[in-house]
Amino acid sequence: MSMAIRIAREEWRLWLRSKVVVAAALIIAVLLAATSVLTINRIADEQVQRMEQQVAAEETFFAQPDRHPHRMVHYGHYAFRPPPPLAVFEPGVDAVTGQSIFLEGHRQNSAMFADTKAGADLGGFAALTPASLYQLLLPLLLIVLGHAMFLRERESGTLAVLLAQGSSGTKLALGKATALLSVIAIFMIPLIVVAAYSVTLGESVLAAASLVAGYFLYLCIWGAIVLAASILIRQRAISLGALVFVWLFAALIVPRVAINASSAAIDAPGKIESDLVMLAEQRKLGDGHNAADPAFEQLQAQVLEQYDVETIEELPINWRGVVATYSEAELTNLLNRFAENRMALEAGQSRLFDLFGLASPTIAIASSSRMLAGTDLATHHRFLRESENLRFDFVQALNQAHATDLDYALDMNRNNDAASAEAARINAESWQVLDEFRFQPDSAVDRLGRARLPLGILLLWLAIASSFVVWAARKVRV
Amino acid sequence: MTAPLEARSLSLMREGNAVLDDVSFSVAEGEIFALLGGNGAGKSSTLLTFLGFLRPSAGEVLVEGRSVHANVAAARSSIAYLPEAASLYGHMTAYENLEYFLDLAGRKATRSDLDSAFERVALAEEARSRRLQSYSKGMRQKTAIALALLRETPILLLDEPTSGLDPVAIDEFHDLVKALASSGQTILMVTHDVYGACQVADRVGLLRRGKLVGSFAAEPGRRIDTETVHAAFAEREAA
Amino acid sequence: MLRSLTRELRFLRRDRGALFWLALAFALSVIAVSFGIAEVREQRATIATLVEEDAADRANALSTQQDWGGAAYYAFHLTYEPPSDFAFAAVGQRDTAPWKHRIKMLALEGQIHEADTRNADFGLVGRFDFAFLTASLAPLLLILLLYDLRASERTARRHDLLVATVGSPRSLWLPRATLRVLGLAILLLIPLWVGAMIEGASPGVVLQASAIVIGALLVWWLIVELVSRIDASPSVLLTSLIGLWLALAIVVPAISKAAIEAANPVPDGGEILLLQRETVNDAWDLPKDDTMEPFVEQYPEWREDSVIDEGFEWKWYYAFQQVGDQTVAPLARQYREARLERDRDAGLVSLLSPTSFVERAFEKLARTDAMAMVAYEDRIRDFHEDLRRFHYALIFPKVEYDAARLEDLPQYDPSR
Repeated sequence: MSMAIRIAREEWRLWLRSKVVVAAALIIAVLLAATSVLTINRIADEQVQRMEQQVAAEETFFAQPDRHPHRMVHYGHYAFRPPPPLAVFEPGVDAVTGQSIFLEGHRQNSAMFADTKAGADLGGFAALTPASLYQLLLPLLLIVLGHAMFLRERESGTLAVLLAQGSSGTKLALGKATALLSVIAIFMIPLIVVAAYSVTLGESVLAAASLVAGYFLYLCIWGAIVLAASILIRQRAISLGALVFVWLFAALIVPRVAINASSAAIDAPGKIESDLVMLAEQRKLGDGHNAADPAFEQLQAQVLEQYDVETIEELPINWRGVVATYSEAELTNLLNRFAENRMALEAGQSRLFDLFGLASPTIAIASSSRMLAGTDLATHHRFLRESENLRFDFVQALNQAHATDLDYALDMNRNNDAASAEAARINAESWQVLDEFRFQPDSAVDRLGRARLPLGILLLWLAIASSFVVWAARKVRV
Repeated sequence: MTAPLEARSLSLMREGNAVLDDVSFSVAEGEIFALLGGNGAGKSSTLLTFLGFLRPSAGEVLVEGRSVHANVAAARSSIAYLPEAASLYGHMTAYENLEYFLDLAGRKATRSDLDSAFERVALAEEARSRRLQSYSKGMRQKTAIALALLRETPILLLDEPTSGLDPVAIDEFHDLVKALASSGQTILMVTHDVYGACQVADRVGLLRRGKLVGSFAAEPGRRIDTETVHAAFAEREAA
Repeated sequence: MLRSLTRELRFLRRDRGALFWLALAFALSVIAVSFGIAEVREQRATIATLVEEDAADRANALSTQQDWGGAAYYAFHLTYEPPSDFAFAAVGQRDTAPWKHRIKMLALEGQIHEADTRNADFGLVGRFDFAFLTASLAPLLLILLLYDLRASERTARRHDLLVATVGSPRSLWLPRATLRVLGLAILLLIPLWVGAMIEGASPGVVLQASAIVIGALLVWWLIVELVSRIDASPSVLLTSLIGLWLALAIVVPAISKAAIEAANPVPDGGEILLLQRETVNDAWDLPKDDTMEPFVEQYPEWREDSVIDEGFEWKWYYAFQQVGDQTVAPLARQYREARLERDRDAGLVSLLSPTSFVERAFEKLARTDAMAMVAYEDRIRDFHEDLRRFHYALIFPKVEYDAARLEDLPQYDPSR
């Protein structure tokens, strides 16, 4: 072991003497620090803003005056998704999806106003986050530091001397690995600091620690790849070129090709397409605004029988409210079926995309990172589902109030004159049916469970890469 | 008549150190001049100055009477250069290497031209269409010499031409160099091999720490006295 | 020159390292172009289906209507921006900004910001299209092809022999590098040309695109050339060049983006919607004149017909939809202006980064840039205005309902 530390110390001495290495490390450290501070500030702002907007939306809803209940169904409500604490490191899909949703009767809106739509367009990877720096730039730094670490001994002839002294390729490689590990450990510090900060924001220690562990795995994979190349390749320019190619492939080419491939393999129709199909079905359900729609004849017969009366006017409840409740439920079933189908297809695409992690550890870490941070597609889908529940609950509660609290005759005459309109209202107390909505990240255990596949892929990568190093180190001859 | 190679009070500074200090000599047509010197004596730098890679800080070098730095390309076209441990392209065969380099020099050579050059340097026929990465050091050197022959330039600059060659090959090489000189080529070689230099050169210069400190010429029809030169060389190097 | 080019061509044919990078460039270009064409075809197919289904759905919706107001309320209209014949080369904003909508006569601001985009993961990572290949990857390939032209010969101790043999160094390095740059450019461009032929892109656009590719490679060549003058080992050169690439392709665009967005704040999109919804909803409880007055200001031609007698009339309903849009018009305009302003600034700043410049230039040629997306939104607004004028002329003067007249409904024309 002491030998490994000796070799590692020697390696450090060389690095500290190389202007290129020191400059590269400093630049990346500065970039990391700057990006972390900027992202933390931005996310903190957003978090406060979303929370305030959510509370304000609820207060406005409660503060509405006496009204016709169906007016409140259309008045609607907003659901906001504040970024989870770990978004300070990994903002994930939040920038692309939009983080607020307008909730109203008879409709499922999509999340609106994604940041990217109004963003300044400067090409492919214009947005830098701490996560993307770790995913893209740190492997490059490891390549710059390590591409020649073993082959240098060969070049300078010291390899022969060391082997002649009874040292072995494995021991040498162990020393070099120690040196790289110490670099990785140092560059984990900013991540650990950010993760610790997220814990003070209320993130669970398990999730934050798993994120740190995931990135540690990822950097170790790159360290192993770099070390293997420097053992197997005999010229430093070739080693550097080959490693840059591996990086190019893993970090830039495979992820984008995987996007193209998974979108080509699974066709997830857009919302408009599925809405069109749905509209056709919806017309069969009947228009909930029009209680006279023939689609409701069966319902009418059933309700009349239930209350044992002959006409809807005799019903103790408001027939229009009954129809609204019934048709909202039917429609929501239909909407949910299509929404679930769309989300299932998207989730399928993303699963396929995750499998490309077998071809690139960068995909695996990016997926686990989003999953652990709670900024992945699945979390966005849960937001859509939960806001849909919120929507359905308050719409149905209002429809219920429509059926029980508003007289049918008054309701039917609401458009006659101002006084009738005034009469066809219910007390604003009824608006209290709206549930408080605070979107919460999944529990750490759930997130960890979701990240099983990409984390497993990372482990597989590490196992393969390090056995490759061991194999290469064992067969080292002069 | 102007000498094909001439150094006039040549001084050369590199990174603040004097590499050559007031060196003057000339090499006549058909003459073999060997510069002897230890490591860092300035031997290779002298050759690189004649090739225009290094610029004199004082004095000048002339090739065929013209200052090298007035027209570097013209000087280079008169010179064939055999660098120390000449490395040609490992991924090409001897034929391909020669064709490429001759093309670089703007010369065309037929297969039989190449073959006759290989004959003269005694490169085995079966080896000629093999890639150079499988060659021994001696075979590589032979290929590089063949290239220098094919250039058919009036001047030949040789940098440690026999290092890495076996004794038989060294003898063959010396015979070849002498034959070239007698056919009129002017040859400047630098080496630290006293015996080799005395065997082949018409004149030997001793170079030490950038200064030309001694010169020995052969009597007509005889070789240079190896013992004397070696003694002088050893004494100068020890100083 | 020609002679040295053929010499270096023969040399290049045996240089396996260089051939590998060149073959990689060709393969990547083929992949990028074929994915691009597949994507564009899928988008066209989607539009074709949508156009058909949209018409059928509208006919279906209209068939049961008994008044103009209902017809206007229930009929959706598809708007879309078909991909240009060069869009295969640069998917651009089409991955993040919506290019299809179904709108109806209600307040437009509530509809136009709906984003019918794909899987969020896609927008996050971005696509592998030709623009990305040329802008980001091609420079790296060029660096790998050129960085050690001299340095590797130096390490192999061949440099002096080569230069001494050739006489003037220019006639060695220039053709050697030229061939690599030229080879890279041609291998990248051939798939693009084939793709353009298949897609029927106009020769002018293809010519401009080719010029951009070649121009960008020349700029990077200059950068590599300047850096590799430094007398350093090949690995130090490569490290420095990759550092430069990172700076120009990633760091400069990211910093500029952040700076531009901070300098040109866009109004919070949520505000636009909130204000518009509030206005529309409040109108129900306001005196009807409060709605009709601002409406008539905008459409004085309906002043005579703007008296509302009944509790509910469609003309009042659409008037307050209209007024909802009018109220948020300043905010919406600000949003649009800020986007354009950001885009203008991004255009200026992209001069600092060849990568951004190339991507933007390609998106411009392919009409997938921010300008094109804003222009599409403008077209939606124009079309919505047409719809309004058509329906107002039927609803306000209380023309008797005649389903046959709906055949003259404005049709969305993407080419307008």
